Amino acid sequence: MPDALTLTDAALKIEALSVAYPSRGGWLQALDNVSLAIPPGGVLGLVGESGSGKSTVVLALLGLLGPAAKITAQRLSYGGHDLLREAPTLRGRRIGVVFQDTTAALNPALTIGSQLVEPMRLHLGTEPRAAWQRGTDLLAELGVPRPAQVMKSYAHQLSGGMKQRVGIATALASEPDLLLLDEPTTALDVTIEAQILSLLDELRVRRNLSMLLVSHNLGIVDRLCDRVSVLYAGRLAESGTTRDVLHRPRHPYTKGLLAALPRPDRPHAGRLAPIPGGLPDLTRPDPGCNFRPRCAFAVDGCEKPQALRGELHEVSCHRVDEIADQEWPVEPAPVATGKTARKPLPLLEAEGLSARFGGGGWLARMLGKSTGVLAVDQVSLSINTGEVVGLVGESGCGKSTLGRLMLRLLPARNGTLNFDGGPVEPEASRDFRRRAQVVFQNSGTSLNPRQTVGMILGRAVRWFDMARGPAVATEVDRLLDLVRLPRAYAARYPHQLSGGEKQRIGIARALASRPDFLVCDEAVSALDVSVQAAVLNLLRDLRDELGVAYLFISHDIGVIAHIADRIAVMYQGTIVEEGPVDDVLHPPYHPYTELLLSSVPLIGRDRREPVAPPATGTPAASEGCKFAARCPRKLGPVCDTLAPPLQQAGPGHAIRCHIPLPELAAVPHWLGSPA
Amino acid sequence: MPIAAFVLKRLAGLVGVLLGMSLLIFGIVHLLPGNVAYAILGEFATPAAVAQLELKLGLKDPLPLQYWHWLDGMLHGDFGLSIVMNKPAAALIVEALGRSALLAGFAFLIVAAGGISLGLYAATHRGQTSDRVLTLAQFGLLAIPEFFWAIVCVLVFASWLNLLPATGYAPISEGIGSWAAHLVLPVLVLSFGLVAHVSRLTRSSMIEVLDSRYVLAARARGFAERRVLWRHALPNALLPAITVLAIDAGLLIGGIVVIETVFAYPGLGRLLVFAIERHDLPLLQVGMMVVTAIYALANFVAEVLYAVLNPRIRVGGAAA
Amino acid sequence: MSLATLPRLRAPSTLVLGGTLLALIVVAAIVGIWVTPYDPTLFAVRFRLQPPSLAHPFGTDEFGRDVLSRILAGAHLSLATGFGAMAISLGVGVPLGLVAAFHRGAVQEVIMRAVDLLIALPPVLLGLLVLAVTPPGLFKTIAAVGLVYVPILVRLTRAVALGLLEEDFVQAARARGEGALPILWHEILPNAWPPIIVECGLRVTFAILLGSALSFLGLGPQPPASEWGLMIAEGRDFLTQAPWVCLAPGLSLCVLLVSVNLVGEGLRERLDPHLQGRGHA
Repeated sequence: MPDALTLTDAALKIEALSVAYPSRGGWLQALDNVSLAIPPGGVLGLVGESGSGKSTVVLALLGLLGPAAKITAQRLSYGGHDLLREAPTLRGRRIGVVFQDTTAALNPALTIGSQLVEPMRLHLGTEPRAAWQRGTDLLAELGVPRPAQVMKSYAHQLSGGMKQRVGIATALASEPDLLLLDEPTTALDVTIEAQILSLLDELRVRRNLSMLLVSHNLGIVDRLCDRVSVLYAGRLAESGTTRDVLHRPRHPYTKGLLAALPRPDRPHAGRLAPIPGGLPDLTRPDPGCNFRPRCAFAVDGCEKPQALRGELHEVSCHRVDEIADQEWPVEPAPVATGKTARKPLPLLEAEGLSARFGGGGWLARMLGKSTGVLAVDQVSLSINTGEVVGLVGESGCGKSTLGRLMLRLLPARNGTLNFDGGPVEPEASRDFRRRAQVVFQNSGTSLNPRQTVGMILGRAVRWFDMARGPAVATEVDRLLDLVRLPRAYAARYPHQLSGGEKQRIGIARALASRPDFLVCDEAVSALDVSVQAAVLNLLRDLRDELGVAYLFISHDIGVIAHIADRIAVMYQGTIVEEGPVDDVLHPPYHPYTELLLSSVPLIGRDRREPVAPPATGTPAASEGCKFAARCPRKLGPVCDTLAPPLQQAGPGHAIRCHIPLPELAAVPHWLGSPA
Repeated sequence: MPIAAFVLKRLAGLVGVLLGMSLLIFGIVHLLPGNVAYAILGEFATPAAVAQLELKLGLKDPLPLQYWHWLDGMLHGDFGLSIVMNKPAAALIVEALGRSALLAGFAFLIVAAGGISLGLYAATHRGQTSDRVLTLAQFGLLAIPEFFWAIVCVLVFASWLNLLPATGYAPISEGIGSWAAHLVLPVLVLSFGLVAHVSRLTRSSMIEVLDSRYVLAARARGFAERRVLWRHALPNALLPAITVLAIDAGLLIGGIVVIETVFAYPGLGRLLVFAIERHDLPLLQVGMMVVTAIYALANFVAEVLYAVLNPRIRVGGAAA
Repeated sequence: MSLATLPRLRAPSTLVLGGTLLALIVVAAIVGIWVTPYDPTLFAVRFRLQPPSLAHPFGTDEFGRDVLSRILAGAHLSLATGFGAMAISLGVGVPLGLVAAFHRGAVQEVIMRAVDLLIALPPVLLGLLVLAVTPPGLFKTIAAVGLVYVPILVRLTRAVALGLLEEDFVQAARARGEGALPILWHEILPNAWPPIIVECGLRVTFAILLGSALSFLGLGPQPPASEWGLMIAEGRDFLTQAPWVCLAPGLSLCVLLVSVNLVGEGLRERLDPHLQGRGHA
């Protein structure tokens, strides 16, 4: 409940907030003249890529930036209180906060209950017994099953989604009226994310909460917020209502961000529009527009200081009216080499592959009493020459394991693998190794930090005998050309490269042996949207140029829909649906595909709310359908006891489900109306 | 109950280590070149004397049998005979062990209390002058050998200031003052280096916890700094300290051997050195076994304590 | 960040200071094997227990030997113990650790159980046990001290290597079909040595401490060698009349330990990734 004295027009007011940290290169200007306001009950989204300074805003509001930071602000107030002075008494009490990584944000040594009760006891003076009861009620309100038991548990006993609910509960325990959400769903799977977002939306209405949602994900901001502010390298680029900013962006940076986003509602939408370059050096802030070096619309005059202009829709760009009708330019496609006209033939065929992980010590293994989990369960998948197969699924579904099984990087328990007509033995031949390569997710650890780019690429070239002696350097140059990097990069070490550049080197290394098949294991997942678009374009071009087939693994169905020809949807070690992109994105679909699609936060499109109970209890016995425990369309006991049949829904489109096809086909489209 | 399973597993490990240790000690003593009887009697012993001693010690039996007799004896409380003093080893060891335990007990208390509190103090005053002074002092303390400390202390407190007795041990029956006075120097010298070690490691583990996300979250919930430190940070920072203290128990045992020698303190360490100097191999064997058993036990206690205090091990897997 | 800059500024000075000091000691030790002001073993009973003077800066001992000469002549013994023991534990521990990391299964079990056993012996006792049954000497001390640190290095090397084996650049090498040896040589070792060297740098101090303690107990080099721990033990009988006989070698030992400690600390600041904060472009 807002007090009498909070009834100014804005509950939270930030005017001209600047924050600088001391760093090796001098003062680092993390925030520069940032102004924000949230009315009571309002939800503001603060959007920006990594390094934009969005988390610094949260810490500044809480007064937790530490003594080294230099903070200046014309005003930093909440409900009439000056936060610069009074933050220590207001935080936790009137201002609650939910951090991104709840695994780290919950104390491992204390029970959930005691962490939940503590704010009530301290801030509200609630009696212990009453506080415990209210904590239990709060967990129940937030949709935590068996709340009384969870109260007595420790953080490590809960799943990611449950921990995030508990994190929200601890923030709400002292009944704050402003909630700061710092990337609250970033570590979560998309179906869990959707549940948390609905929960936050509900809470906001029920408790009349104001919220500040800090996120890099434009989709969830669109889903939750009234107003949006876009932050770039410590400065505000654009501010306005969600509708204005995300649907009719005016600042070049916002336009670029939206154009770079691969979206599942626009499959094979041609090339994405990446933003070239990277963040400016924050120790030497540009007095003019700091986006200028990357901006497609930059002209003379951009070097002058820019101020936010406009009334309700503020934009800090002097060309805002000139470029109002212009879209962010799409990267031009390279000249086609015409190598694609080959007739597709089966290249790699996996039949009944399985893998089991962990369980028991060496003794148990020796006695054959392994209690491991079946990470991949009898999966069959085939990929044609030059084809991109997208493999999508949530964390832990076994998609990476399947990728490694298909490269014979992990031993399979059973099943066969055929490549180009011949079998691939468990000890893969040198020829298979040469022709099937892999690109990894984490650009930070995928390159040996002690070798230069030239050494890394040269080693792969030499190993496969692609060149010898001085010809190796020529070959390295060719690879750098291929991934559109300057040849001088051969002398650089990995730590001298940006994330996107490292990923390009990872791709070049995989291409060194001129392979026919690449596994891209979350190859763009760790990258910011603007960089991700460039790497996706590159991968697409390389496929067209070289005719390489990809198994493209990702948790992001938008990325998959953008790049893939066919999609395979994986759930707990089995492929539940497989087919051409357009078939998978349209009914009939597997109930899990339906849940995934309806959980993706989209910009500017209403989609049907996902309907799924949170997973309760353990997954069904190995015999039945693995999705049965979470399935909103579960038929009955047959789902738990009988393995679902593989139903052919169309040419090359298969669904593994008990529900008859006509019934599945009658399910409405996930976008509400067919696109 | 995961904790019961954990304790059982560690207990099995403890038994395994003790068995392995007995084999190792027995093996080193009996397999290394050199005749035990000659080692005892000296190079110029007559063959007859050697034969007689070998018979007496059971050295003519096959080695596995000798080992079995030794092990079986220890399990039944028969620790064999000290050949030099011609007394049951058990009596000698028990008496010495009591005195050493006194020394080690006091030292351990100082190390645990002093090391942990200095470490916590330094961590919460990170970067300040007091922290730098402590770091420097720890650095110095770690670079000074215990036996040299002991000699400097004897020189200063006993020879020059004449405040404390230089060496020896006085039973408590001779007056509590004299008893305590004989303990002060050995206990202090034994603690010096270890306090530095424990405080350094406690400092770094506390700093890691203070930089953690959950401490930030506790501060963000508006709790007072004292509460954040004592309730949210401390329990997590103390867990690694248990492991450090277990390691230090080993260093303490090593220190006792040296310190008892310097201070002519009649404890277990002195007894071991005596056994080595006089080639009293049966006494040495058993003494070594007792010391390693104590150390193994200390490690076992530390592991169980760690598990009991750590919910991840105590409660185990997923619930909801 | 201010915290990150602090050790960075100090790092060169720590390493340079310790390195200079250590280099001086090493030079003195090498020269001291052949050249000393007096013959370190020459008895001159007439000059016994003389206090420090211009002729004998550190005084003389109970046999009239010049203490400074003896310290110089014995310096290489402590250095040899510290670095020799480290070399042994590196030479044995690192290969065993790598083998245990690469060969899961029986080989690993055997190595790691042996390590568990050795680590369950308190450090001094392991040395005592080995030295008790055989006549003492310099090389046995070095071997005994080296043996103490073998299990620690096995565990460390294995942990580092197992961590690196999970890294994607090793997976990439495996995807090229490279075998254990090329992966070890090109991918593991270049990344594994910094933490191992850091550990060794910090352990040399302990090795010298342990070696001198064993010598002090009479289980190291035997008289008339002038190992510093042994010198301290011998000088104890005249502590009150002639403290310099003890103090001079003791302080030398402290200077050596401080310099080694500084070098170890400096290496850690340079190489430890936790302190380095992984460089930026």
